[in-house]
Amino acid sequence: MLQFLENIFGPSWIVSLIAFLISTTVILIVTPVTFMMMTWFERRIVARMQDRLGPNRVGPAGLLQAVADGVKMFTKENITPRAADKWVHLIAPLVATGPVIFLFAVIPWGYGLSPVDINVSVLFVIAVSSISAVGLMMGGWGSNNKFALLGAMRAVAQMVSYEIPAVIALLSMVLFTGTMNLNKYTELQGGLPILGNTLKDVIPDLGLGWFVFTPIGLVGFMIFFICILSEGERTPFDIPEADSEIVAGYMTEYSGMKFAVFYMGQFLFNYALSMVASIIFLGGWNFPGIPQLISIAPPIGALASAVVLGAKAWFLFFVMIWLRGAFPRLRMDQLMAFAWKFLLPLALINILSAALWLTIMLWCTGDCTQNPWVFTVGGINPLGWLGNSPVLRQLVGFVLTAIINAGAFFWLLNVNRRPAGETPADLARDQAFGTASLP
Amino acid sequence: MNILIMVIFVVLAAFTLAAGVMVVTVKNIIHAALWLIASFFSVAAMYLLMEAEFIAIVQVLVYVGAISILVLFAIMLTRHVTGEGVRQLYKRWWIALIVAAALFGVLIVPTVFNYEWAVQPSGAQISIASTVEIGTAFMREYLLPFEVASVLLLVALIGAIVIAFEERSTRRRVLTLAEEVEQRRQRNESLRLAPTTHASETSE
Repeated sequence: MLQFLENIFGPSWIVSLIAFLISTTVILIVTPVTFMMMTWFERRIVARMQDRLGPNRVGPAGLLQAVADGVKMFTKENITPRAADKWVHLIAPLVATGPVIFLFAVIPWGYGLSPVDINVSVLFVIAVSSISAVGLMMGGWGSNNKFALLGAMRAVAQMVSYEIPAVIALLSMVLFTGTMNLNKYTELQGGLPILGNTLKDVIPDLGLGWFVFTPIGLVGFMIFFICILSEGERTPFDIPEADSEIVAGYMTEYSGMKFAVFYMGQFLFNYALSMVASIIFLGGWNFPGIPQLISIAPPIGALASAVVLGAKAWFLFFVMIWLRGAFPRLRMDQLMAFAWKFLLPLALINILSAALWLTIMLWCTGDCTQNPWVFTVGGINPLGWLGNSPVLRQLVGFVLTAIINAGAFFWLLNVNRRPAGETPADLARDQAFGTASLP
Repeated sequence: MNILIMVIFVVLAAFTLAAGVMVVTVKNIIHAALWLIASFFSVAAMYLLMEAEFIAIVQVLVYVGAISILVLFAIMLTRHVTGEGVRQLYKRWWIALIVAAALFGVLIVPTVFNYEWAVQPSGAQISIASTVEIGTAFMREYLLPFEVASVLLLVALIGAIVIAFEERSTRRRVLTLAEEVEQRRQRNESLRLAPTTHASETSE
């Protein structure tokens, strides 16, 4: 094939250049269209939840509303405040949005549909998504506006602190699966719920061995999804642009297309991270019937897999909208306390249970008398009774990690029941000092 | 292919150097920080050019995602530094230049002379930076530096917590609006009562 293409088009680097140009073009067309669909979807769903109609005039069911909005954005006056730092103000939306579109380059959109297949794509997602914080900072500072600066500070503080539990949640999955390649996650999540691929020879691949059905994956998914909400500034965590407090945060001084680019970055960030969450925790494009379809007719299977993955990502986006319709905004101290006192310890305990699971799965499989590293108690292997049955190991691991994770979850809930400053210890201290010492 | 890589390398190297020069010459300190981020980026791109994906991504993660954000935050929180007109050069800048050049020489000269430069790329695919190899190296050859670094980071972490707790013991929790109103009412009452009690005392 490559030889054939070389004969037609010339040396191989031209071929690769053309191939990458094609996938880049596809990404650059698909992402803005996704963004437009997302704005329409969000407005319609929120309207539905608030007992309104939402945009329903432009096109069938208001579907073309986003196009009309785009025309409006294009024709709006492009204002740069006189005291603003012109270049920083101009570049900021690009720095905030560019990395988000980078993310789509490593995300597999379906079976065999990843634009670039790199080995460390999970790490890539983490690293690149942290760049857009620089763009927000630039926007907030370059606008020369106190609201913008406050919004940027809030946004970055929030992003930085929620990145830690998100990364640790992903790290527990990396430990669990032993790979950082997003393409491999889907393969690992075939089979049955809980049992995964272990009964592959007996029961046909149902494509339901999603990690969210395991205790480690469930806790990891919860933590990661909450962190997505926070990093994408969705409503319970939208204090960086709290419109009742600081106008629009770092976007205060932006209008026209520059505002639209910021807005697009935010929505696509939500979508990209929803996709990552669906791939890592919700089984990627696995669904009953899809593995068979891929083996029978690969092109149709690839298309179906892309549809399934898209449906999962859109479902997660729907949950985000749902939360927006249901929850009020958190306070800054509640936000920070939640990240540092609940999510972070839970994520750390989750890593420990992932390690335990891994130990149970791999302990002394095969011939273990030859292995000098195997730890024995008085010459007896403490996990020897598990034998070589992956199903038994999987079940034992499931039960143990379920106990640990559930215990940790309820313990942390109990510890954090009272807000900061109102725990019994704090109240006792307040009593001791007397309320009179308050300012 | 080699020419293409050479061209990309030269462009990236020129950009890195230019960005580095901008960092030390530009007047506005925020702009300096932004140029620093640009140079970090192009260093990451060079790692990528050498097919060291993992190191490139870690470069972005650590330097762009964490350190530069911290730098920006620190600059923005210190109020008077952001203004223009901060002096760029001091009288004895040449001493700094000599020290920096000497350090760079100490690092680069032994490498240049001791490394056996492969003129022709060998046929075998050498992956310089697979995560497995890096992990193994950390756990075997470089275990001691790895552990020392982790202990250092742990100490820094605990230090930050200790500092935060010291400050916290002198700070009260944030009051709710109702509590604040109640407090203000109490204070007003005590203010209103105070003169009268005082007056009654003096009248006696």
